[in-house]
Amino acid sequence: MAERKKRLSKVFNYFCAEDPFAGGVAFCSGCPLELTLRFTAKVLGRDIVIVGTPSCSAPVLYGQNIGSWHKLAYYSCLMTGVASSATGITRYYRKIGKDITVVCFTGDGCAADVGFQPLSGAAERDEHFIYICYDNEGYMNTGIQRSSTTPFGSSTTTTPVGVARRGKETMAKNLPLIMAMHKPPYVATATLSHLEDFAKKLLKAKEKKNEGLAYIHVFSPCPTGWGVATDMTIEVCRMAVRTNFFPLWEAERGRFRLTHTVAQPRPITEYTKLIRKYRHLTPEELDRLQREVNENYALLRHLTQLGEQA
Amino acid sequence: MKAKGKGEVKVITGNAAAAYGAMLCRPDVVASYPITPQTEVVEQLSRFHADGLLDAEMVEVEGENSAMNIVAAAAIAGGRVFTATSSWGLAFMYDAVLQASGFRAPVVMVNVNREMPGILAVSSGQQDMICTRDSGWIQIVVENCQEILDSVIMAYRLAEDFEIQLPVMVNYDGFYLSYLAEAVHIPDREDVDAFLAPLKEQPERTKLVPGEPLGCGTHGILEGFMELRYKHCAAMERAKKKFDEIDQQFGEFFGRSYGGQIEEYRMEDAEIVLLTSGSACGTAKAVVDRKREEGLKVGLVKLRMFRPFPREKLTQVLRGRRAIGVIDRSVCFGWNCGPIYMELRALTPEIGPVPLLSFIDGLANMDITVPHIERVIDTTWAAARGEPYQEVTWIPLEE
Repeated sequence: MAERKKRLSKVFNYFCAEDPFAGGVAFCSGCPLELTLRFTAKVLGRDIVIVGTPSCSAPVLYGQNIGSWHKLAYYSCLMTGVASSATGITRYYRKIGKDITVVCFTGDGCAADVGFQPLSGAAERDEHFIYICYDNEGYMNTGIQRSSTTPFGSSTTTTPVGVARRGKETMAKNLPLIMAMHKPPYVATATLSHLEDFAKKLLKAKEKKNEGLAYIHVFSPCPTGWGVATDMTIEVCRMAVRTNFFPLWEAERGRFRLTHTVAQPRPITEYTKLIRKYRHLTPEELDRLQREVNENYALLRHLTQLGEQA
Repeated sequence: MKAKGKGEVKVITGNAAAAYGAMLCRPDVVASYPITPQTEVVEQLSRFHADGLLDAEMVEVEGENSAMNIVAAAAIAGGRVFTATSSWGLAFMYDAVLQASGFRAPVVMVNVNREMPGILAVSSGQQDMICTRDSGWIQIVVENCQEILDSVIMAYRLAEDFEIQLPVMVNYDGFYLSYLAEAVHIPDREDVDAFLAPLKEQPERTKLVPGEPLGCGTHGILEGFMELRYKHCAAMERAKKKFDEIDQQFGEFFGRSYGGQIEEYRMEDAEIVLLTSGSACGTAKAVVDRKREEGLKVGLVKLRMFRPFPREKLTQVLRGRRAIGVIDRSVCFGWNCGPIYMELRALTPEIGPVPLLSFIDGLANMDITVPHIERVIDTTWAAARGEPYQEVTWIPLEE
């Protein structure tokens, strides 16, 4: 019997280290964090320090008493202190002349809300580390509350749908764009449906962090909090890209470039229909969400065109 | 007695003394955010850095919360660190302050005492320090500019000691000391190196190293948490004797020592005692001298270590006295008295049922004057003689 040749995905070429995580970890069923963490560690290698916070990733990254889920060097701090703690670690190692890779791994609640000030400060000061924000559009670990990256219309436990209120009333904060406006050496968006793109960006971040902050914003659907079938996580990622809800781009010192273009973007409804938190939206509300997607994308296109001219 | 007399004498402010103290200890990472009345510390350290006298990573942070997180993380990574703050800055870093002590990060920080909470009083007062007394930090309070410099140096020996490994906060009164220029002896750097050298002979503390499967800040729960808390408290207890030893060695080295946890002034045959802390002690010593000349057997105890509270030392020196008056530059909300007084009352079983009097003075830059202290001593003396007394006196409000 002839041996069937199995073609490995090109993404395997980017792996430089063994998976440092235990075989089973304590994430919700279908959560993309497990894949994101294993992937990040395999691409960046073992010689890193992870800095994290109380969040969805904490149960796995923290360990319990002397028990641990992984073999990485790890510093856990409070949500206010991620970028600043990473600064402290990198500055000390710079002082003793040792080149290291510090990787912050936090959710959007930390990056966009309560921990934003130190992140902004670190970007302005060109601090030398990687900051990965996994954006699941809310405070999922505490039970699905809205954050400032929660999109318009989303039903969450603090923006519930009732007779007097219909989900979140304001638009999401565009954190990757805000970070890019600090003009650090590297800002990128990534998601799990486009793994090679993600891997390239991780490696670029590792290189660019030698000049200053490298920020990667990772779109991370939350099956539990959004109402997504647990086998549909990656499909939701893909559809977020195909609808231009979450375009894939990178920016170096404020010079933007799309890393993936969608020839014919799908309407936002093809994305929202996969997700229960949007199911109450009226056609008018969906139109409003579509307009926001279009406007954000037009702005991004404009910025990338400026980057091409420069 | 190796280093006595070496170095130079300069007329500098309390803030500059703090900066000199830090610079001489060669910190690896310094992160600090300006706030009145501490700002000059940040400026002076930046000047040292610019002039090549301070070879440290200087982080010009965007807030105090980041300052504390930066120095705590750098300390856990293995560095020697320094930061400085005051009042609202201390409040803004509160979560990180608690984390630093829980992580046993050997941070050295000066806190330039200023009033809070509320009523934006840009003025002296020790309430900021009191607001963090249960934070698990070692807290030291000092009297003058020389003591600021010396205490910062001693603080490194205490914080980084293998048996201690706790953050240390050196407090001095804002305005009264921060901007007061005094002649200060600045030791030679090599002598400070030599004084700190014993730290290098100790076992290396656990550090965060890339690539090594070692984390800082696990979910310590149940017995795990209890054990860490127990060890933290045990380290606090050890810090008392350790501080006395460091102070004594400092004296042998530089010719100046301060008594360790407490300084006793004219206590040998004192029948009544004045207990206070910080810059008020200078005035208090002068008044005690004057009262002694009048034949009154009064002594002063200067509280240098507020956390851990020097209960054994205080018991030893206060037992058998006839009355004790305490001046606090802050209040104890919910007890309506001064915090040091409140803590002293907890020692009543040890020192005996003598009159204890609380005097609140010096809030928000109210001067603790010679007449105020005379009044404290006279009132305490009257109580010792058996006259009726009120427990708490807000001195400036009763004039």
